Amino acid sequence: MTTIEVEAVSRWFGNVVAVNDVTMRIGPGVTGLLGPNGAGKSTLLNMVGGFLPPSTGTVALDGRPTWRDEQIYRGVGLVPEREGMYEALSGAELVLANARLHGLPDARGAARRAIDAVEMSAAADRPLSTYSKGMKQRIKMATALVHDPAVLLLDEPFNGMDPRQRMQLMDLLSQLGEQGRTVLFSSHILEEVEQIAGSIQVMVAGRHAASGDFREIRRLMTERPHQYVVRSSDDRALAAAVIAGGSAFGVELRADPAGGGALHVQAADVGRFSHALPVLAAQHGVRLFEVAPEDESLESVFAYLVER
Amino acid sequence: MSVPDVPARSAGVIHDLGFRHYDGPRLGRRQVVRALFVESTRGAYGLGRSTRSKIMPFLLLAAVTLPALVVAVVLNVTGTASLGIGYAAYPISVLPLLSLYVAGQAPALVSRDLRFRVVTLYFSRPLRREDYVRAKLAALACATAVLTCLPVLVLYAGALLAQLPFWAQTRAAAVGLLGCLLLSMLLAGIALVIAAVTPRRGLGVAAVITVLVMLTAVQGILQALGQDQGNAGLEHWSGLLSPFTLVSGLQRWAFDAPLEDLPDPPGALGGWVYLAVALAVLAGSYALLVLRSRRVSVS
Amino acid sequence: MGPGAVIARLTVSGLLGRRRAAVLVVLPLVLLVLAGVFRAVGGQDLRTAVLLLSTLGLGTVVPLLCVVVGTGVVGPEIEDGSILYLLSKPLRRSLIVLSKLAVAVATSWALLVPSVLVAGVLLVGTAQRLAVAYALAAAVAAVAYCALFLLLAVLTRNAVVIGLLYALIWETTIAGVVPGARVLSVRQWAYAVAEAVAGDEAVRQGVDSDVGLTTSIVLLALVTGLASTYAVRRLRALRLGGQE
Repeated sequence: MTTIEVEAVSRWFGNVVAVNDVTMRIGPGVTGLLGPNGAGKSTLLNMVGGFLPPSTGTVALDGRPTWRDEQIYRGVGLVPEREGMYEALSGAELVLANARLHGLPDARGAARRAIDAVEMSAAADRPLSTYSKGMKQRIKMATALVHDPAVLLLDEPFNGMDPRQRMQLMDLLSQLGEQGRTVLFSSHILEEVEQIAGSIQVMVAGRHAASGDFREIRRLMTERPHQYVVRSSDDRALAAAVIAGGSAFGVELRADPAGGGALHVQAADVGRFSHALPVLAAQHGVRLFEVAPEDESLESVFAYLVER
Repeated sequence: MSVPDVPARSAGVIHDLGFRHYDGPRLGRRQVVRALFVESTRGAYGLGRSTRSKIMPFLLLAAVTLPALVVAVVLNVTGTASLGIGYAAYPISVLPLLSLYVAGQAPALVSRDLRFRVVTLYFSRPLRREDYVRAKLAALACATAVLTCLPVLVLYAGALLAQLPFWAQTRAAAVGLLGCLLLSMLLAGIALVIAAVTPRRGLGVAAVITVLVMLTAVQGILQALGQDQGNAGLEHWSGLLSPFTLVSGLQRWAFDAPLEDLPDPPGALGGWVYLAVALAVLAGSYALLVLRSRRVSVS
Repeated sequence: MGPGAVIARLTVSGLLGRRRAAVLVVLPLVLLVLAGVFRAVGGQDLRTAVLLLSTLGLGTVVPLLCVVVGTGVVGPEIEDGSILYLLSKPLRRSLIVLSKLAVAVATSWALLVPSVLVAGVLLVGTAQRLAVAYALAAAVAAVAYCALFLLLAVLTRNAVVIGLLYALIWETTIAGVVPGARVLSVRQWAYAVAEAVAGDEAVRQGVDSDVGLTTSIVLLALVTGLASTYAVRRLRALRLGGQE
């Protein structure tokens, strides 16, 4: 049982703040680190893995700071994003070398088990230079698993994998999580994280935006006020009707730079609003030309979470 | 959540999101080559690249020009009758610095392009392989020419300021500058060929330096051996081995440049052989580079 | 197979790629070919042998080869990130550095010592213990050079250029011109070792150094030790990832 403790950690590179005052505790099970590109996920993972010191704050594994402590790697396995490897070796040789570097008593056995776990036994004897991207990812997994670590850190592990490989990896990670290991992986794809992560940490622009159970976050996201843009034949009348009807927090009549105008509605309850709008329009004889959501992107969702 | 039907968003239609296709006049192949040439030349001095990449080129430029500046100043201050060092002899005296410059910049110009196959992006534009090679060769040659010619110009300026005889100095400086230009082309060709076949940048630098230093060292030793043994043939043909002595040999043969310590093409044919070798090196490096750029595959 | 041996094996697999191996073989080969040419043309002349082994051998081939080998045992791994596989293990960083240094020294010795020996024998036979003197000098120089260039490769991505600047500009030009600077030159320390071993006639012909033998040996050991220690410290604090 190992807990990752990140305490008020910031990391900057010159003028760029990559990680901004992040605090989180990550326990056993599968945790997803979710965020758009450039959110600071890799930086945070590198700090947890002991390859980058925090500019302020502490990153610790069970109370031991990760920076400059090579003994933590007895219990930590890393799957990096970069593909640099010893290309002249075969997959089996690389995993075996990693097993020996860990000083495992039965290096060959451990290597074989790790390769079987990632289902690379058939191709293990070919040189690494002949591997596809997905195969390289799996061999990287094997090198990280060979010493049976309690903590597994994966940086965008599903990159470059086809759907079948991705399913296999998800199964593997879920199994490892159920065994009580602490598995932390990063991704910018909601669906990947959704399928296996018990808990999620959301990072946006270096800040820790949300954490907790995935269902909770999803609920928060669906319950947020939605913005709609409505173009109709009589915006003012419609605005008055919508406000009187009570399905919206607020309305705004904004002039469109392209000409004409638009009605911006902040709807509280999406279901109610979408039922009420056509009824109101019909009642007041207003023709609806366009009704469109204004903030459906993942970025706006993240932004909303950050503002909370 | 259901949204009322909106006309513009029915399935299966490609929307005009405002992407603007460029239909206007496009510049031709010439301008493409020129742009590549300008960008590569500037890149050879770190302009248009990171600040770090400016250090070495400008450091070397300063190191190469400084002695010339000192000589020019001393000349003006002490009022001696002639420059301590000849225009034609100057490049050889700063040989290691010139070698380091091309060794450092040649990989920066081509190694990354070839290793990561960025070249294929170049070739999907109206840029032929020969154009690419010509642009890169010309760029490195020009960049090196700045390095070699600047000190000569400084010396010339110093000589004029000290009011040394005008025509003699101008003639000598012109010979020197011609030599610098030829030397720059030779060095650029050799360095680029080696850089084009060594994928990693660090190894490319080491390989170019190895070749240039080895050639120079071997030439020097053979020349010294020839002198010791009284073997004039060995002494003077040794000049063919190194681009620096190739150029100085041509300067001695064609213009009688005062380069006493360096090989002199012997006999009636010597000069022509030197010239032929120089041209062969230039043509050969061009051909090899074109060959290499043809062998880059897409995947 | 202990961890040290595994590190050595991984290092060797990365070091001896085709192109690098080609550069590495060319250098001693040139020395041998020239020695052969000299022998054919000039017979067995002590002075030319000293000239060749000093300037081409110790002065050019040895430092150039050590730059390629010394930076090659750790530079490419840091550049493409594969050093992660060594650093993400509970291994002492000193073990990593020493294993790599051992590979560098072994490779340089394998390439340099036989070729310098054969070149010396080709030139003057066994006279004046010249061949042995220079082979020994090459060996000690290689140790110090490899340690220095390994440290450079850990410190900066431009290790090759800086190493070449040192070997070619500093040691040749500056140390050749400024007498005081000669004390800070690995080449001069190696010359001192050669001077101690070679016969008196050879010393008169130019196998000499401006630095005393004891000083040279102390400095060689000191530089090797300090460079390795500092390399270990920097490797402990190596940052991977973050901004490129």
